Amino acid sequence: MSADKKHLSEFQIALRNFKKNRLACLGVVILGLLYVAVIFAEFLSPYSYKNENRNYSYCPPTVIQFFDENRLVWPYVYGRQLEFNAYHGRIYTIDKTQKYPLRFFAPGDTYQWLGFLPGRRHLIGVSEPGRFYLLGADSRGRDVFSRLLYGGRISLSIGLIGVCISFTIGLIVGGVAGYYGGRVDDILMRICEMFMMVPGFYLLLALRSAVPDNFNSVQVYFAIVVILSFIGWAGLARIIRGMCLSLREREYVLAARTFGLSDRKIITGHILPHTVSYSIFAVMLSIPGYILGESALSLIGLGIQDPFASWGNMLSDAMSIVRIKFAPWILLPGFFIFVTVICFNVIGDALRDCLDPLLKSEVKG
Amino acid sequence: MCVMIARSQLNWSPLSRWIRNVLFRQRVFFSLISFCLFLPSLLPSAEETIPQKYGGQLVISTVSDPKTFNDIMAKETSSTIVTSHIFDGLTTTNAFTTKVEPHLAKSWQVSSDGLVWTFFLREGVRWNDGAPFSADDVVFTFNDLIYNPRIPSSAKDVFTIDGQPFKVEKVDDLTVRFTLPVKFAPFLRGMGQAILPKHKLKKAVEDEAFNFTWGIDTDPQEIVGTGPYKLVRYDPGQRLIFERNPYYWKLSPEGEQLPYLGRVVYLIVPSADVQLLKFLEGTIDIYNVRGSDFPYLKPLEKERNFTVYDLGPDMGSQFIFFNQNNGAHPETGKAYLPAHKLAWFTDLNFRRAVAHAIDRKKIIEIVNNGLGYPQYSSIGPGAGFFHTEEVVQYDFDLKTAKKILADAGYQDRNQDGILEDQEGHRLEFNLYTNAGNTERLDIAAIIRQDLENLGMKINFQSLEFNTLVSKLTSTFEWDAVVLGLTGGIEPHFGQNVWHSSGGLHMWHPNQETPATDWEKRIDELFSLGVQELSEDKRKVFYDEFQMIVSQKLPLIYTVLSAQMTAVRNKFVNLKPTNYGGVLHNLEEIYMKKEAR
Repeated sequence: MSADKKHLSEFQIALRNFKKNRLACLGVVILGLLYVAVIFAEFLSPYSYKNENRNYSYCPPTVIQFFDENRLVWPYVYGRQLEFNAYHGRIYTIDKTQKYPLRFFAPGDTYQWLGFLPGRRHLIGVSEPGRFYLLGADSRGRDVFSRLLYGGRISLSIGLIGVCISFTIGLIVGGVAGYYGGRVDDILMRICEMFMMVPGFYLLLALRSAVPDNFNSVQVYFAIVVILSFIGWAGLARIIRGMCLSLREREYVLAARTFGLSDRKIITGHILPHTVSYSIFAVMLSIPGYILGESALSLIGLGIQDPFASWGNMLSDAMSIVRIKFAPWILLPGFFIFVTVICFNVIGDALRDCLDPLLKSEVKG
Repeated sequence: MCVMIARSQLNWSPLSRWIRNVLFRQRVFFSLISFCLFLPSLLPSAEETIPQKYGGQLVISTVSDPKTFNDIMAKETSSTIVTSHIFDGLTTTNAFTTKVEPHLAKSWQVSSDGLVWTFFLREGVRWNDGAPFSADDVVFTFNDLIYNPRIPSSAKDVFTIDGQPFKVEKVDDLTVRFTLPVKFAPFLRGMGQAILPKHKLKKAVEDEAFNFTWGIDTDPQEIVGTGPYKLVRYDPGQRLIFERNPYYWKLSPEGEQLPYLGRVVYLIVPSADVQLLKFLEGTIDIYNVRGSDFPYLKPLEKERNFTVYDLGPDMGSQFIFFNQNNGAHPETGKAYLPAHKLAWFTDLNFRRAVAHAIDRKKIIEIVNNGLGYPQYSSIGPGAGFFHTEEVVQYDFDLKTAKKILADAGYQDRNQDGILEDQEGHRLEFNLYTNAGNTERLDIAAIIRQDLENLGMKINFQSLEFNTLVSKLTSTFEWDAVVLGLTGGIEPHFGQNVWHSSGGLHMWHPNQETPATDWEKRIDELFSLGVQELSEDKRKVFYDEFQMIVSQKLPLIYTVLSAQMTAVRNKFVNLKPTNYGGVLHNLEEIYMKKEAR
C-alpha cells in the first residue's frame, strides 16, 4: 500500500475520470476561451457593436500585410475603396497608397466595460480613416468580429441565466412533488405536463407575442431569458420528482424526520443534494437548448433587435443565398453556435459518464 | 375607398382590373416601366406557323396561398392574383399607353354632362363553361353583388359616391347604362371591375350564401369567368394550375384564337429565396429580381439562358411616418399617444429634421446595390402623367437637421447625448416595421441609425405583420413605423390613404373633420380631382397635393427599388412595360418551338 492509494473523495474521482476524456477537456478549453473573450468583448473588439461605416458594406476580411517591398515591417493594412462593377456587384480595390499600421491598445470607441468601467482602448486597431475587419463587415460596414464578441455575450449568457432560473424552479417543484407525493404531486405533475404538451417552439412564439412591444433592448433580453426558462423547467422537475420519490424512503430521511427536521430542511438539505450529480450534467445538456432558442427567435426577427448583436440576429443576415455567395463570412455566427453547442454536449456527456453512480461501478467492476 | 393588405405592402383599392394588375405585379414578380429595349428580338419570326404557337406552359411562383376564389370577397393580393386570370372587366388599361381601353365592352358613349355612360358589350363572348355572356351579368355583378347590403365587398366603397350608388340598368342584351350621381373621373378605369356570372351565382345570392361561395375548397369547375385562363386544380400549399379557356373571346392580330399557352402554373413557395433557387434550377420561369440578387443573376444570363428586364422604378413606396392621432381610447379614455410625443410628432420641424436625416443614397447602395431611386413625391414616377418632381426634396444633411431641431427647442439639456424637448422629455420612441421583409428591415435599421445620429433614442422592433397592421388600423398605439404602400396611375384610388376620413390615413385615421388645414386642403383637392374630367386640369390639383405632402411630411418617403424581372428565354411575344410588367399580355405569349 503506497501513498498514491490514499482515499479519494467522490469529486476527485469524478475529476480524474473527466480528465481522461480528451474531447471533453478540449470542449472546456474552447468554452473557457469563448467566455473569457466575450467577457472582455469591449477590449478585445476593434470597434463597438454599432460602429458602422456605410462605405464598407460587406467589406471582405482585411489582409494583414507583414512585408513592404520584401522587407519585414510592422504589420499594417491597406485602405480600401468600394466600387460597383458592371453587374452592380461590390468590388473592393486595395489602395496601396494608404497604409494603416496595426496599433495595440489603440484608442477607439469609448465603452463602459461590463457597464461600469469606462475605457476607450482596444486590444488592436488601426487609426481612422482606415478600417480593420478581421472577419469582414456586415451590410452596414460593422465589424463582424466585434459583433461576434458582443453577440456571444448575449448568446452565451442567455444559456447560463436561463438554466439557473429553470433549474431553480425545476428542483423546487420536483423536490416538493416527490417528497410530499399524493395530491400535491398530482397537481404539480399535471402542470408540468401542460408545459411539456405544447411543442416548444410554438410555446416560445406564443409567449414572445405576449411581451409588450415597447420594451427596450435590455427588457427584451430578460423577457427572452424568462420565456426560455419557462419552457425548460418542466422536464427537469419530472425527473427530480422521480428521484425524490425513491430518496424519501431512505433511512437517513427517516432519521432526519424522527429528529424533527422541517420538511423544507429535509428537502433542501437531505434529498436534493443527492440529485446533484444528475442535475449537473442535465444543466450542461440543456444549455444548448437556450442558445438555440434565442438564436431561433432572433433569426426570425423576434428576439434581440438591431443594432444589438446576438449570434441569432447576425445569422438572420445570412438567410439569403446571394448574400452568402458574396459575403460568406456572415455565416460565422452559425459556426460559433455550432461549436458552442457541441462543446456543451461533449462536456455534458463526459460529466454523465463520470458522475453517474451506475456507470461508475461498471467502470470499476 | 377600400383597403387591401398584403404582407409586403399595404395596398390601395383592389377594385379594378387595373388595381389587380398592380397587386399582381407586386405579389408575384413583375412590374413596370417604359418600353423595353429587348422588344424587337422577342417578336415572333415570320416563318412560325399557327399550330406551333399553341400549348406549352408557364410556371410562376407565389409566396402565399389564396384565401378565396371569390373576386368580390377577395381582400388579399394572394387571392387577387388568382382571380385576375379568371375574370375580366368591361375595360382594361393599356400597359403601353396606360390609357383605358375596351375589353368586355367594345365601346361606350357618355352623355354631355358626364353622368350617363352607355356600354356596348362585345358579341359572342362566352363564360368558360360555354354559357353566353350578356348585360344581365353586368347588372347582376353591380346590383346584386357589389351593392348588396349583405355582401361586405370592398368594391362597394369605390362605386358609392357621397353615399349614392350608381344606377345600373340593362338596355338590351348587349347594352348596359350606368347613371352616376355626380361626375366621377376614374369611372372608366373603375370599370375594370371583374364581372361575375349570374347563371352560376344567382342561387347563392338568393340563399344568402354568397359570402361563403367560391371558397378555396370549391371544385375548380364551378369557378366560371370570361378571362383567358380557368382554374383546373388547386393543391393547398403546393400549386395552382390554370388551363386555357377555349371560349376566350380575344383574337390575335392575325386572327388566331387566344390564349396560346396551354397551362399556367403557380408554385406556392415559402420565400423569395426559395423562388430564386427554383428559378436557378429551372423549375420556375419568372423571378422577381431584387437589387441584391442582380450581381448574382445578371452574369448568369447567357449560361442559364434567361434575360433580366429592368422595368424602372417600383410603383409602390416605402416611407417612415409618425403617429399624429390625438384621439383617445373610446372606453378607457386613455390617449393613444402621450401628450409630449404627440407634440413632437405633430411638430413639422421634427418631421422636417427626420426627412433631412435619412441617407437615401446609402440606403440605395446598401439595400439595392445601387439599383434604386430616391423618392420625394407622394405619387411615384411609375404613375407617369400625374407624377411631379415639383416638390420639396430633402437632401441628406445632418447639420441642417440638427439645426432645425435645435431651433425648434429640442436640445440636449442634461448632456446625456440624447435630445430633450422644452419640457425636458427625452426624445425616445419606438420604431416598428414588419418582420419578414428583409429589404424593409434593412431600410428601417439604417433610418434608426440616422435618427440616433440626430440625438434621438429609438427602440426598434420588428413585429409580426398582422400585429403591426392591427396597431395601425385598430389599437392606434404606436409611435413611428416604416412601411410600404402600392401605388398606381389613378391618384383618386389613393383616397383611402390621403382623405382625412380614410381608414388607411395611417398617421391619423378616420377623422370626422380634418385635424389640420393642410389635411382639409388635401380633402378638397381630392374632391375637385375626382369631379374634373379633363386630365390636364386634374393634374393641377394632384400636383398641389404632392407639393403639400412634401411640405407637411405626413409620410416621409425613402427610396424606390428598381423593378427587375428575370424570365427564361423560352417565350415569344414578351413585351414588358413599366406599367404592366412582364405578364400583362399573358394571352399573347407563346413558347418557342425548341423549348417545348
